[in-house]
Amino acid sequence: MDAVKRVLKRIWLFLFQFRYFFMKLGISILTLCAVVILSFILIVNMPGTVIDSFAMQLSIQRRISLEQAMILAKQMLNYDPDAPLFERFWAYIQQLAQGNLGISIKNNAKSVNLILKELLPRTLFVSSISLAVSFVLGTFFGSRTTWRRNTIGAKVLDGYIVVSNSIPDYIFALILITVFAFRLAWFPNQGAYDAMILPGFTLPFILSLLFYATLPIAAYVFSQLSFWTMQMQGSALGVLGEDYINAARARGLPKRLIVRRYLKRNAILPLVTQLAISFGVMFGGAPLMESIFNYPGIGLAFSQAIVERDYYVVQGILLFVSVIVIGVNLIADTIYSIVDPRIRRSA
Amino acid sequence: MDNIVELNHLTIDYRLRKYALRAVADVTLPIKRGKVTALVGESGSGKTTLATSILEVISTPGVVESGTVLYYGNDKPVAVTKLREHELNAFRWREVSMVFQGAQSAMNPIMTVYKQFEETFLVHNRKTPRQAAIRQAKQKTIELLNFVNLDPERIMPMYPHELSGGMKQRVMIAFSLLLDPKLIILDEPTTALDVIIQGYIFKILKRINVELGISMLLLTHDIGVVAEFADYVAVMYGGKLMEYGTVREVFKEKRHPYSKGLIESTPSLLSDIDKMKPIKGSPPDIRNLPAGCIFHPRCDRCMEICKLQEPEDHKLGEHLVKCHLAKQ
Amino acid sequence: MNERLQAGRQALINLVHKMLKFLNGLGKVFFGNPKSVFGTSVLLFFIILGLFGPFIFPYSTDISMLDQLLPPSWTHPFGTDLWGRDIFRQIVAGTSDVLSIAFLAATFSVVLALILGMFSGIVGGFIDKFILFLTNVFLTIPSLPVFLILAALFTVDNPLTFALILMIFSWAGMCRSIRSQIISLKERDFIQICKVMKMSRGHIIFKELLPNVGSYILINFIIVMKNAITGSVGLMLLGVASFEPTNWGAILTSAKNNGALINPNSYMWLFAPILCIAIFQLGVIVLSKGLDDTLNPRLRVM
Repeated sequence: MDAVKRVLKRIWLFLFQFRYFFMKLGISILTLCAVVILSFILIVNMPGTVIDSFAMQLSIQRRISLEQAMILAKQMLNYDPDAPLFERFWAYIQQLAQGNLGISIKNNAKSVNLILKELLPRTLFVSSISLAVSFVLGTFFGSRTTWRRNTIGAKVLDGYIVVSNSIPDYIFALILITVFAFRLAWFPNQGAYDAMILPGFTLPFILSLLFYATLPIAAYVFSQLSFWTMQMQGSALGVLGEDYINAARARGLPKRLIVRRYLKRNAILPLVTQLAISFGVMFGGAPLMESIFNYPGIGLAFSQAIVERDYYVVQGILLFVSVIVIGVNLIADTIYSIVDPRIRRSA
Repeated sequence: MDNIVELNHLTIDYRLRKYALRAVADVTLPIKRGKVTALVGESGSGKTTLATSILEVISTPGVVESGTVLYYGNDKPVAVTKLREHELNAFRWREVSMVFQGAQSAMNPIMTVYKQFEETFLVHNRKTPRQAAIRQAKQKTIELLNFVNLDPERIMPMYPHELSGGMKQRVMIAFSLLLDPKLIILDEPTTALDVIIQGYIFKILKRINVELGISMLLLTHDIGVVAEFADYVAVMYGGKLMEYGTVREVFKEKRHPYSKGLIESTPSLLSDIDKMKPIKGSPPDIRNLPAGCIFHPRCDRCMEICKLQEPEDHKLGEHLVKCHLAKQ
Repeated sequence: MNERLQAGRQALINLVHKMLKFLNGLGKVFFGNPKSVFGTSVLLFFIILGLFGPFIFPYSTDISMLDQLLPPSWTHPFGTDLWGRDIFRQIVAGTSDVLSIAFLAATFSVVLALILGMFSGIVGGFIDKFILFLTNVFLTIPSLPVFLILAALFTVDNPLTFALILMIFSWAGMCRSIRSQIISLKERDFIQICKVMKMSRGHIIFKELLPNVGSYILINFIIVMKNAITGSVGLMLLGVASFEPTNWGAILTSAKNNGALINPNSYMWLFAPILCIAIFQLGVIVLSKGLDDTLNPRLRVM
C-alpha cells in the first residue's frame, strides 16, 4: 500500500513540474472548443437554399433526380438541416474528429483538406519569411536605438515607425503593387511562381517562388518591422532600468558584455510570446493581403469563399487556421517557460 | 594613511529635463581603513547616491558635478572619477564591492548563481588561462558560500528567484567577497529580513570585518544596528552631511538635534516605548529645500539664525557637526 | 426676492466658472504639447469637414462621361473618377460616415472593455477567471476571418452594425489591461484606506478607481478609432461590406476594382482616399502619443 502511495506521489511530483504547461494546454483546448462552436454556428445559420442549390448542381452534374441529389448532398456534407440541433452538432464533431473539414459546395465538391494541402504551404512560406525578417531586424534596431537614442539612425527609425503606423499594411500593399508590379513591372502582379518552371526542389523554382513572394513579403515587413522595433525598445527600456544592469556595472563587467548578456537576453524573452500572437495576426491579415497581390494562398481562397458564400470552405479554413494559431501560441508559451527560469520553476 | 576612501566636496546631481536634483551637496567624508563606517539617513537623503559614486555607478541620470573620490589602495591614491572605462572596470569589485539594496534584483534573473560568480571572476582574471580560471572560480565560490553558511552544492545551480530573502542576502555578501576587495559597501543589508536572520547576517558581516580585515561602509536607517555594529557614523539629511564622528562621540554627546532626534526615535530594549520621540514633520523635498539650515522646520531647538543662515561645519578633532548650536 | 435673484445670479456665475475651468482643463489636455496640438487639429479638421463640408461642397451622383478621369484642377482638386464625378466632393461627403464608424466602434469597445474589465478586477474569483478566458479566446482567434464571416452573416449597411462588428475584436486587449490596472490599484494604500473608512463601493469605483484609468481609456479610445478605420476599409476592399459609395474605403475599392492600379490617369482616384486615411491615422497616432505625454508624465531622462 505504501509503495503504491510512494509511486503515486512520484508521478504527481513529476507531473507537477509541468503544471504551467498543463494550465496552458487546458486554456488552449477551451479556446479550440469555442472556435468549433463558432464555426458550427456559421453552418447552422447558412440559408436553407444553400443545400438546395448544391443538390441542384449535383443532379445536373451526375444526371440524377433532384430527390436523389438531395440525399446525396446531405450525405456528402454530413449535414441534415431537418435533424435536431444536438444531432447535427454531434455529426459535426464526429466529422471533425475524423480530420474531415468538409467539402466545397461551389467548387466541384473539392475537399477543404485538399484545398488546405495545396495552398497552405504558400501562405506559410510568405508569412514565416516575413515574420523572421521583421523579428530579427526589429529586435536589432530596437535594442540598438535604446542604447544610443540620439543618433540620426534612431530619428529616422522614429519617423518610419509613425509613418508605418498610420498606413495600414494592405494600403501599403496597394501602393507596392501599383508602383512595382503595374507601373514599373519589376515584379509579377499575380501568382505564386512562374508557370514555365517545373515545381520541385530545384534552385530555379525556389528563386521563382521568392521572386513572386517579394512584394507580399515587403508589405508584411513594412508593417511588422515597426511593431517589433517598438516592442523591443519598450522591453529593453524596461530592462535598462533594472537594478541588475547597474549591479553588473559595479562588478566591472564591460559594457558590451552587459548589453549582450544582460540587456538583450532579458529584453528578448517576453517577445517570444508576442511572436505567436503576431503569427496569428499575419494569418488573420492573409485574406486581404493575398487578394490584393492575387497570391494564391489560403487567404485568397478564404476571401473568395466568403464572396461566393461557400460556407463549408469558410468554416474549414477558419477552423484550421485557428488550430494553427492556437497551437503556435501554446508552443510559444511552452518555449517561453523553458527559456525563462522564473516561470519554469515557480509558475 | 588610515583612510581607505576620501570623499572631497562631492556634489552629485540628477540631471532631469527641466531641472537638476541635487542629491548630494558638498559632502566631505573619510572612510576609515579596517573599520565599519555607518552612513545614516532617512530614505531620499542621498546616501545610496553617495555610496554608488565610490564605484562610479550612480544610476542614470546622476552625474558628479564637482569634488573628488580618492581611493587609497596600496600606494598612491586613485581618483575614481578620473579613471578611464577599462581602468574603472578593473577597479570595480576588485578593490571596492557592494551589496545592493534589495539583493533579489541585483542578479541577472536568467543566469544561475554560479554562472554569475564565474562570469565576474573570469572578467577580472583575463590573464589566467581559461581552464585554470574556471577551476579557481569554482573553488572560490564554494569557499565563499561555505563562509556565509550556505550549501554550495545546492545554491550554485539555483536561479536568483529560487532563493529565499535571507539566502539571497548571504549569496550577495559572498559575491561581494569574490575578488577579495578592500572595502565593501552594504546598502541596507537587512531591510525586509526578519529579526533573527538580521542578527545572523550581522554575525557574518562582523566576521568579515574582523577576520578578513575588510573595511565597510554600511548604509542604514536603523540606529540600533549602528550602535551595535559600527565604529564611525555619518549622518545625512537632504543630501548634506550633518554630523560625522565615532559612534561614541555621536551617540553620547548628541550635539546635533537631528542625530539626537534619530537616536531618540529608535525603540530599544532598554528604554521605555513611551519615551520614544519620533521626529516631527517629513523628510525635505530636495527640489525645494528650506532656506538657512535645511533641518530648521523640523528642529525642536530652532533659532532665528537657523532660518537665515546655513551653519558651517564645526570640527572638534575629527568630530564634525553642521549646526549653529555647535558654535557655543 | 432680491436675495433670491442674487443667489440665482451667483449660482449662474459659479456654473460659468466651473465650465470655463473644465474647458481650460480640456484645452490643457488636448493642446498640452506640440504633438497634441497637431493631432487635435487634424481630428478637428476632419470633424468640421464631416459636419459642414457637405453643405459647402455638395456632391452630386450625376454621371458625366465627358469629365471621365480628369486630372486635378481648380474645379476638381482631386480630379474625377471613371464616371466623371468629383473625387474631392466624394471624400467630403464620406467623411462623416468614416468618422461615425470610428467613433461608434471606439465607444462600444471602450464601454464593453470598461464594464467587463472593472467587473473582473473588482469582483475577482470565478467571474474574473471566466472573463479572462473570454479575452483569451478573442485574442487568439484570428480576427479578420471572423469579421468576414460576421459581415457575410449580417448585412452590413450602416455605421451601427459596422461598429458592432468591429467592436468584437477590439475590446479584449483593453479589457485585460483595465483589469490588471484595477487589481494593482486595489492594492494601493489609498483604496485600502477607503475600505477601512467604510466608503461605499460605488464611491470607490466611480470616484477613486475610474478617474485613475481615465487617461488610459482616453488614449485607447483614440487607438480603437484608428483600428476601426483600418478594419472597415479592409472589409470594404474585400467586398463583403456594401456601404455608402462615398465612404473612403468604398472610393478606394471602387478605384481598385475599376482599373486604377493599372491606369496612370486614375492614380488620383486611388491615392486621394489613401492620402486621407493616412493623414487621419497619422493625426490620431500623434494625438495619442501627445496625450500619453501629457497624462502619464514620467521622469524623462535627457
